[in-house]
Amino acid sequence: MATWIEPIVFERTSRVDCRFNGGTVFTDFRALPRGKFKPLALFTLCAGFALSLGLLAMQLRTSGLHGLLAPVYAAQDAPRTLSPISFDYPEDGSIFPPGITPPMFIWRDAAGTSWSIDITFAGGAAPIHATSKGERMHIGAIDPDTVADSNSPPKLTLQQAASWTWTPDAATWAAIQGHSVDQPATVVITGYRDGGVAFSRSQIQMTTSRDPVSAPIFYRDVPLMPSAGVNGVVSPLAPTAIHLIHWRLRDITKPESHTVLKDMPTCANCHSFSADGKTFGMDIDGPANDKGLYAVVPVQKHMTIQSKDMVHWNPTGDIGKTRVGFMSQVSPDGRYVLSTFAGPSLKLLESYYVTNFMDYRFLQVFFPTRGVLAWYDRSTGQRTPLPGADDPKYVQTDGVWSPDGKYIVFARAEARDPRPPGQGKATHALDANETQIQYDLYRVPFNDGKGGVAEPIVGASHNGMSNNFPKISPDGRWLVFVQCKNGQLMRPDSQLYILPVEGGTPRRMRANTRLMNSWHSFSPNGYWLVFSSKARSPYTQMYLTHIDADGNDSPAILIDNATAANRAVNIPEFVNIPADGIDDIQVHVADEPAIDAVPKAANGSK
Amino acid sequence: MIGSRFSLRSSRWALMLGSLLFAGLPMMRGQAACTPPDEMKARFQGKPDAAAYTDLGVWFADQKNYACATDAFATSLQLDPNQKDLAHVAFMLGVSLYFQGDAKEAIPALQEAEQLGYKDNKLHIILATALDGEHSTKEAEDEWRAALDVDPELSTALDALSSDLLLEKDFKDAIAALEVPRLLGQRTARQSLNLGAAYASTGQLEKAAAALRDGLNTTPDSAAIANQLARVLVELNRKDEAVTVLQLAVTQHPDDAEAKANLAKARDSLGLGK
Repeated sequence: MATWIEPIVFERTSRVDCRFNGGTVFTDFRALPRGKFKPLALFTLCAGFALSLGLLAMQLRTSGLHGLLAPVYAAQDAPRTLSPISFDYPEDGSIFPPGITPPMFIWRDAAGTSWSIDITFAGGAAPIHATSKGERMHIGAIDPDTVADSNSPPKLTLQQAASWTWTPDAATWAAIQGHSVDQPATVVITGYRDGGVAFSRSQIQMTTSRDPVSAPIFYRDVPLMPSAGVNGVVSPLAPTAIHLIHWRLRDITKPESHTVLKDMPTCANCHSFSADGKTFGMDIDGPANDKGLYAVVPVQKHMTIQSKDMVHWNPTGDIGKTRVGFMSQVSPDGRYVLSTFAGPSLKLLESYYVTNFMDYRFLQVFFPTRGVLAWYDRSTGQRTPLPGADDPKYVQTDGVWSPDGKYIVFARAEARDPRPPGQGKATHALDANETQIQYDLYRVPFNDGKGGVAEPIVGASHNGMSNNFPKISPDGRWLVFVQCKNGQLMRPDSQLYILPVEGGTPRRMRANTRLMNSWHSFSPNGYWLVFSSKARSPYTQMYLTHIDADGNDSPAILIDNATAANRAVNIPEFVNIPADGIDDIQVHVADEPAIDAVPKAANGSK
Repeated sequence: MIGSRFSLRSSRWALMLGSLLFAGLPMMRGQAACTPPDEMKARFQGKPDAAAYTDLGVWFADQKNYACATDAFATSLQLDPNQKDLAHVAFMLGVSLYFQGDAKEAIPALQEAEQLGYKDNKLHIILATALDGEHSTKEAEDEWRAALDVDPELSTALDALSSDLLLEKDFKDAIAALEVPRLLGQRTARQSLNLGAAYASTGQLEKAAAALRDGLNTTPDSAAIANQLARVLVELNRKDEAVTVLQLAVTQHPDDAEAKANLAKARDSLGLGK
């Protein structure tokens, strides 16, 4: 059988497609000198390709050299301007960490019915060419245990449903990464229809960083299953479902995360690792829903949390009162734990605004309206308020340590009743009936626990917005914090900002996604920031952004497959340990009475 | 006024309810059609209370008999204007009126429910739809905004709000409503059209083209977006791009006369002939 041969030249990408027998397009990619298209040479090139494919009997699509010229120039002189493709991911300017698993390229295109993906490298390495008939996006695996009447199965957004995708295989991705270090790779997607005519095109540039992530990410993996209990009181998760919470460790060079803790009989919340990666702390509820326990244990391959490891914030046994630690942070050297505590006469609901909703997408509003910072010394068992952050006129919270442990950055606002009389009930996140509070970021010396004068951080205070959840870069130069209209934690409008730690002009980070950006954490080497977002799904996912020496960040990179499509990634935190540094965590405290680790003399918050 | 809590702000609404109330109890329109079901008949022996009429209204509403549901809810309100679920009953009355096809009367009932503190996004959505139907665009905008406050992902509300804003020639607010981060790449075809129109109306043609292009890439089969995009591209003197857009539209919608006409015009202006 005769084979028709039709070389098609694409000038911009210096590519030749060899089209055989009309309907079937085999592609060959060769770097060509710009502007020098010799038809005979092209025919020879394609003929050689055909021979290599065993297509021995050949003939030109049109007779003679003149006939060959027509299709060759048809592409470059096409009577149409190519329509722009919406290139959704990765965004232009993306920086990938070395070794990360292959990403899914995502685009929308009204014109194309098949696509070519051409990747060229500034360094002159051989270009890479691939073709795609267009795979649609699809929903990932579902965890049947977390399907509930109170949530909805994940579904593609309008945009996602219209998207086309291409995921390079591991070898191709390794080649792309290898040739895009320092100098960007240009990724061109061209859409074809009508038997191979180019109709649409777009391109982005992406780079692979020299800076490795070098540390795994520890995170909580949670179901979104709000539950209405007796009297219609809504809780974020029914007690019977608490065991479905998992804690996982992710090495971004691996396609899946490793579960280190699950089947907890009691609730556990915020966790914190010391900067040296040697100490781990986590809020764990004790018997009778006692919210006043905190576990502090050394980080090991196989970890066990026992009663002896528990700090009891509430030694007088007043369940539900006052001694709830909030956003506790282990000091860089692991000696201290800094946390937020309310006054001794206050019940939990007198110091926190808490409202839960049946809308699984944003199911809770939770923030402190009263409280002081206090530090717990593991070597003495004493808990002491931190002067400069212990004024009951204010709520002082979200305290984080500087890398050298010498000062604390925290969020502050005037203390207030979490539910002022006559205030209506909020029915959804950002309801005007939420108690209004706008935090400002302050800085206070730790001064061996003696504290000092708190100073507002210019650029993160008194700007009409709520500035919260500060994190300091490991080199002590940068402060990344969340800004939102009201309160803190899981705010739909939360955006990440960066500014010099001593204050200045904040810069809205480029990595911000369209919906909720928070729970960020710096990698130990300071080059990467992990954060959570609901950009792609109500079931929260985590993303990375690269931060350079000048504090510039790059577009968000999704960490794929961190959990099931109907579970949420929560509180991601880099841990300064090897990728396999924690294998499992056993908890053996829930059924035992908690040990009072606080000497009576240290009771109270002064 | 029926009672201390259920006030009537609209005279039209007062007249309507009054006519129902003073027609005598039980005030069922078409007695036969509004007969309670057997399982509820016992509750209507003697002197039925407001709750019985509320339940009856719910039953009729379930049967999609909105005329009888309206009567039942109105009776319930008349019997006990201070009842615990007053706001909810007022809401159900408004909904029944609306589904009965009486948007004019539904509006004051729903507004009353809102004033009484009824909280459900359905209230905003139905009220806004009714207000739009009565060309009370400004009031409808407020309700659409309220619906979006509760659920910012509610695309039908944003579709309608942005359309209302365009009707009011409030292009600035239309752009503000549609250019929010959470909508990035998530706009419906209607929202893309409206954003394109708002930009084009304010002379921002490049932004109009970008919004419409992105919209077309999300909904490739939208002939309306293709036509509008082509018009903007022609305005920008990018006629060759317009031709490409229209060629595809004509391929996908061979019966779309507008696309065909636009294509002919664009080709003609480029000297390409038919």
